[in-house]
Amino acid sequence: MALMGFADDVVFKAQAPGQVIVGRPFQLTYTVNQRSRDFRAPEFTDFDVLSGPYTSTSSSTSFVNGRRTSSFEQTYTFMVMALNAGTFTIGPATVKVDGNQVQSNGVRIQVLPEDQQAQQGASGSSSQTSQSSQTSQSSASGQTSSENLFVRTIASKTKVHEQEALMITYKLYFANVDVAQLTNNTKLPEFTGFLKQEFDQGEIQTELEHYNGRNYRTATLYRTILYPQHSGDIKIDPARFEAVLRVQTQQRVRSIFDDFFGTYTNVTKTLTAPGVTIHVSALPSGKPAGFSGGVGKFTLTPSISQTELQANDAVTIRLDINGAGNMKLLKTPAIDWPEGFEPYDPKVTNNFNASASGVSGTKSIEYLAIPRSAGEYTIPAVKFSYFDIDEKAYKTLSTPEYTIHVKRGANEPSAAGGQQSAVVSYTQKEDIKQLGTDIRYIDTKDLGKSRQQSAVSYQFIWLWYVVPFVLALVILIILRKQIKENADMNRVRYKRANKVAQKRLKAAAAALKANDANTFYAAIETAAWSYLSDRLSIPTADLNKENIASLLRQKGVSDTLISDVMNVLSTAEFARYAPSTDHAMDDLFAATTNLINNLEDQKI
Amino acid sequence: MRRFIVWLLAVSYWPLAFAQSAFEEANSAYADGRYADAATMYQALIDETPDAVVYYNLGNAQFKQGELAQAILNYERALRLRPNYPDAKYNLAFAQSRITDNIPEQDFFLSVWARAIRNNLHERTWLILSISLFLLALVGILLFLLGREPWLRKTAFHIAWVALIFSLTAGLNAGSLHKRDTLRSEAIITQGVVNAKSSPDRSGTDLFTVHEGTKVTIRETLGEWCNIRVGNNEGWIKQQNMERI
Repeated sequence: MALMGFADDVVFKAQAPGQVIVGRPFQLTYTVNQRSRDFRAPEFTDFDVLSGPYTSTSSSTSFVNGRRTSSFEQTYTFMVMALNAGTFTIGPATVKVDGNQVQSNGVRIQVLPEDQQAQQGASGSSSQTSQSSQTSQSSASGQTSSENLFVRTIASKTKVHEQEALMITYKLYFANVDVAQLTNNTKLPEFTGFLKQEFDQGEIQTELEHYNGRNYRTATLYRTILYPQHSGDIKIDPARFEAVLRVQTQQRVRSIFDDFFGTYTNVTKTLTAPGVTIHVSALPSGKPAGFSGGVGKFTLTPSISQTELQANDAVTIRLDINGAGNMKLLKTPAIDWPEGFEPYDPKVTNNFNASASGVSGTKSIEYLAIPRSAGEYTIPAVKFSYFDIDEKAYKTLSTPEYTIHVKRGANEPSAAGGQQSAVVSYTQKEDIKQLGTDIRYIDTKDLGKSRQQSAVSYQFIWLWYVVPFVLALVILIILRKQIKENADMNRVRYKRANKVAQKRLKAAAAALKANDANTFYAAIETAAWSYLSDRLSIPTADLNKENIASLLRQKGVSDTLISDVMNVLSTAEFARYAPSTDHAMDDLFAATTNLINNLEDQKI
Repeated sequence: MRRFIVWLLAVSYWPLAFAQSAFEEANSAYADGRYADAATMYQALIDETPDAVVYYNLGNAQFKQGELAQAILNYERALRLRPNYPDAKYNLAFAQSRITDNIPEQDFFLSVWARAIRNNLHERTWLILSISLFLLALVGILLFLLGREPWLRKTAFHIAWVALIFSLTAGLNAGSLHKRDTLRSEAIITQGVVNAKSSPDRSGTDLFTVHEGTKVTIRETLGEWCNIRVGNNEGWIKQQNMERI
């Protein structure tokens, strides 16, 4: 036998109702699941023990699929009565099982005062009107008055801020009435202006409650958490419930058995819970920029997956918003990703727990982004603001500023690689020129041909312009001067040409008289040539018949005159080397004199 | 004596011979696909003597490693030293087609042409051209002023004014190249993504975004910030985000 094992499995339990009424006896039981002895009751200070303890044992053995299971129970029962109203604790009892002392749990009992009605023996209906149901149209006996059966609307708060949670409870109160069941014919209000958060109602359990001087059995019919969505007075409409009562029929007693067994009928009764007005005040002004709409109390736990990564690898920032309040309405804060990151929609995981105290839990937001190029990036702090309901002030929570170092990705297609499908996804260029598939090969032979030369010095560059310019200017001035001098000389010669010619002709005339042919021809020739040279500004070097003819033609001298000129010149030239007769000399003299006069007239 | 001359020749050509062997070693590393090694060796050669060919090869090695911005930078540098370098031009265009930013040419087409022509020749060449044309213009002017034959004077006059205009253009090109190269007013973005700010500090408003490999013009420098221009946009970015050509 596993004695120790037995001892471990000992369960010694005290049981009593949670609520009792002063002066009403109730049962207090201690139960052990092993055979025990030496039961020692606790000290009852605020309670009178009316009787007990009574000891009773029960055991059962059952075979299920050939397996024998046996249970044993030993019960010590007291009849106890509370002396005063209040909440009291009955200490633990002890018992010995196999020589070991075992202690039971203590019991906490709420003692309600006696009914005022019972004390006064009066109806006392005046004390409870406003909260109780007024409608009792249905066929019910006098017992089921509104004092005995009603539904209360209990708002946990009637003055709240916008978005602050409050709980509405519909509670059934009944006394001296036998409520058999509640029908499904329930009409709850719309709760317009509120966001309703349902939660698990649990099983309906009855409790004792002292209300308005009376003790009632109560049952919570419906509970809900409400979040007001706007400020102002919001009215909640009355709710309607329907209960089925067991009522003793008021018919004449036919036999004693009727009364003995009782004759009951089920009566349906409509119960109306009154409406209630909630005063909702707006949130104070001065909302922070990143106000999330959250009202309650929150904490923020940020985390980042990595701060050192390669391009095209994902980075995840996770925000855990923990707390209690209107969790469902929290806006997801946005991350302002730097350029070059490809962000994805954040993934939100809600883990909320709705209970009578409101909604609490965690909202986890995962932000995923993929950096597409290498570099160092700073992700700015994410701000999460909410209205702290306890401190009645706005609070701002913030993540740290993350610095992410993105290295060039190993899987980033190298520019030299042929395939670049991944690049295309973020290259927004429209007009990529198809230039080929690869770069040209390196240059292997031209080393040293195009070395970097020393920078061009502009200090003396201007000299290259100024010196030739000055040089050209000097040349121009010199040549110009010379030309001018020549022109002046020509002018003098031009003016003196006739005089000189006449002088030479005089000399020729003298030679003619002396009959000196040589001197005469020389004089005539010189006179003609020098006259033409001076008049036409032909340098002696360029002096010949062709030049003279062309220049004369340019100056518009008639062809006959030109032929005369040519004639004179060739005659003089010819005669000089082959002297002829005297009258020829006279003719030539006359022709020359004539010619010069003609040319003078022409003003060449 | 002869031995001495041989020795002298050897000494004077030794650095060149050394550079040649290092260059060939780097080329074989590139041929073997050891681009990182090749890039290191090319960089060492450039530290000795900058050379257009080495810049070009370094750009290729970096391109093969996926360093687009560095490759573009070195192609640009190669073209600075040898303006008419077809391979470098081709690879530069190829690399530029891979970068994110597509900066449309905002200038008037004539100035685009003018810049293209300017970039085709070396600064020194432009300068020599300018001086030669200026001399030609002077000769033409002298002939025009002093010539006696009407046809000669006419021809000289036309030659003179055409030569003068071209000389001026060539001189301006040389000057603009000189300004560009001495001020180093052009840069390549080396950081993946850079936001240009409205003012030279971190709190400035983000005006526009430039990506790795984009060529920008630096207009002004203030501490570690530079005022840059890309297309029609102007803004401030940090110097560490780019490298001057």
